[in-house]
Amino acid sequence: MLNPLILSFREGVLYRAKGNILWLLHRVSGLGIVLFLGFHIFGMSMSAFNPPLHEQMLELYKTPLFAIGELALAACLIFHAVNGTRIAILELRPKLWEKQEVATRWSLIIVAILLLPTLAIMAYKSITHFIGG
Amino acid sequence: MASATVTPGRTVRKIRPIPQARNNFERGMWLFMRYSGLALVFLTLSHFWMQHVLIGTHQIQVTDTMTRWGVQGQTINLDNILWRIYYAVILILAVVHGINGVRQVTYDYFAQKPALYKGMMTAIVAVAALISIGGMLALVFGAAGDSLGTAALR
Repeated sequence: MLNPLILSFREGVLYRAKGNILWLLHRVSGLGIVLFLGFHIFGMSMSAFNPPLHEQMLELYKTPLFAIGELALAACLIFHAVNGTRIAILELRPKLWEKQEVATRWSLIIVAILLLPTLAIMAYKSITHFIGG
Repeated sequence: MASATVTPGRTVRKIRPIPQARNNFERGMWLFMRYSGLALVFLTLSHFWMQHVLIGTHQIQVTDTMTRWGVQGQTINLDNILWRIYYAVILILAVVHGINGVRQVTYDYFAQKPALYKGMMTAIVAVAALISIGGMLALVFGAAGDSLGTAALR
């Protein structure tokens, strides 16, 4: 027997994930953003309380690990924004529910249009920074 | 379906108006998530594209924070005030939006253990409040002037 907590977690993820991957991605990307948000607000607030630490935090963002993490952040942010817009519009305007599938397709297209250039620019800047171009 | 045809001889269920929500907190948070989310789309994406993409994280120095926010004890200009309002609005909306999202996720997985759920939420809200108050204080008072960047500013 599984621990009920683990069971509910597993079932929740598995059940919802069936045909509802967007729901899961929205949840995971949201948690990713909120984690960075706390870290980011802390780092920026240190400009007032502890400038050397603030500088260390800014330098930390420039390390390869954070450069990769920042790409993931961009993906989370843009997906969460576009998918969230879709959810908000559909839920506030129930008449549009008939067009759910079109909305889903277009939100994924918009995610790709916004995300790919963003990732390209960020990756280019990071690579030239680390190689020293 | 609103346009379902009625078969003769069948009992027809009357559609009653949606009852008033009993839990006004949940109703308010539900609406808040939608409206703050729509606002945050523009606020956070503009911030992210400005600072993390166009300027680029590798270019950002301590002096940039000081020029944008203004330095404690020095006169601040209109730009500083507008930047601070912009960041303060993002901070408040994003933190409340984020905490409510975390609350929903936590509730989904830990609701059957009320003590654990309450403990987790208390800890999460406490940490978030501490960080946010720090951020708001930094935005109210501005960056600290010290040997690191004040010289470069003048």
